[in-house]
Amino acid sequence: MENGSDESRVLEVIREFANVGAGNAATALASFLDMELVNEVTTCNMLPLARVAHWLGSEEQIVAGIYTQLCGDLRSGILVVFPSASAQTMLKHVTKQEVDLSNLDSIQLSALREIGNICLCWYLVAVSKMIDTDLVPAPPDATVDMLGSVLSLPLANLAIKVDTVIAVHTYFKGVEKDFEGYFLMLPEERMLKEIMDKMGENG
Amino acid sequence: MKPEPKLVGIAQLVIARAPEQLCCLGLGSCIAVFLYDPITKLGGIVHILLPRAPANCEREEKYADTGVRKLVRDMLTRGAKRETLRAKLVGGAQMFPNLNVNVHDIGKENCDAAKRILRDLRIRISAEDTEGTRGRSATYDLDDGHVTIKMAFGPEKTI
Repeated sequence: MENGSDESRVLEVIREFANVGAGNAATALASFLDMELVNEVTTCNMLPLARVAHWLGSEEQIVAGIYTQLCGDLRSGILVVFPSASAQTMLKHVTKQEVDLSNLDSIQLSALREIGNICLCWYLVAVSKMIDTDLVPAPPDATVDMLGSVLSLPLANLAIKVDTVIAVHTYFKGVEKDFEGYFLMLPEERMLKEIMDKMGENG
Repeated sequence: MKPEPKLVGIAQLVIARAPEQLCCLGLGSCIAVFLYDPITKLGGIVHILLPRAPANCEREEKYADTGVRKLVRDMLTRGAKRETLRAKLVGGAQMFPNLNVNVHDIGKENCDAAKRILRDLRIRISAEDTEGTRGRSATYDLDDGHVTIKMAFGPEKTI
């Protein structure tokens, strides 16, 4: 990534990569929620650590975040984020209960984790085929809190050596219902290199 | 009317003087170390992401060990007195306690590392709101050194 055109090339390839993952994940989520979903354009950016939350929304926005870390050779943080209103709609639909996001019970928290698990696994199934490498996620965990707080651990896990991160996100939204969220991938250097090696020449 | 607080983001260090205000929004496992000198009304924050800096680190502000040292050094250079400096710590939560890959609790490690350095530098910690599993936003008033903390869905408190 020595110059500007190399950087834009990397972002373009990563974007294509994430787009396929997000497409697959949105299909799985749509069928699980019995709701029609569409993906918006995948956006990819190289950002200083301090800017990531602002790029996605605002630091204090309340969101439901489900996060896991790939634990094989290739490392990446991967998250599904739902704004609070959508998280509420979704949990109500799945658990058939009234939901208080400030105080989720263990069933609701488990449902949130499971929804994240479905999305993340389907995302990874699609992208691992593209680079012909197994991507193994740890079981995810979920929380409802401020976006900045939700991002702090994924960024910490990534940032031991780097000060800027490549963040790729894909918004999805309900066609008929008011529902939205996004997938966010934060790949480590080796993961980026692998993606470039396997996909870089096909653009 | 107080001025709008200036935002101190991840891996940033800011020093300011009253009547300015500083803030850190959405602290999760990150920890904000706030130093205040009540005589000169000079205050500074470093927003730390990780406990320990690697060898040849270029960004001292990102790590507890190097970041706290830099904050103290810069505060003294700007005219604060070591004897009157007070530290307050906010953050260091464990946001995803059930994530199995986390052998370490980064939030707690950040907290412990920051405290260790402050102790080494003989800076008194006057208050803290740390650890737990919830994120925090903190606003620092440089007129009196008070820190107002807000949690998602929670009441405000001042330390």
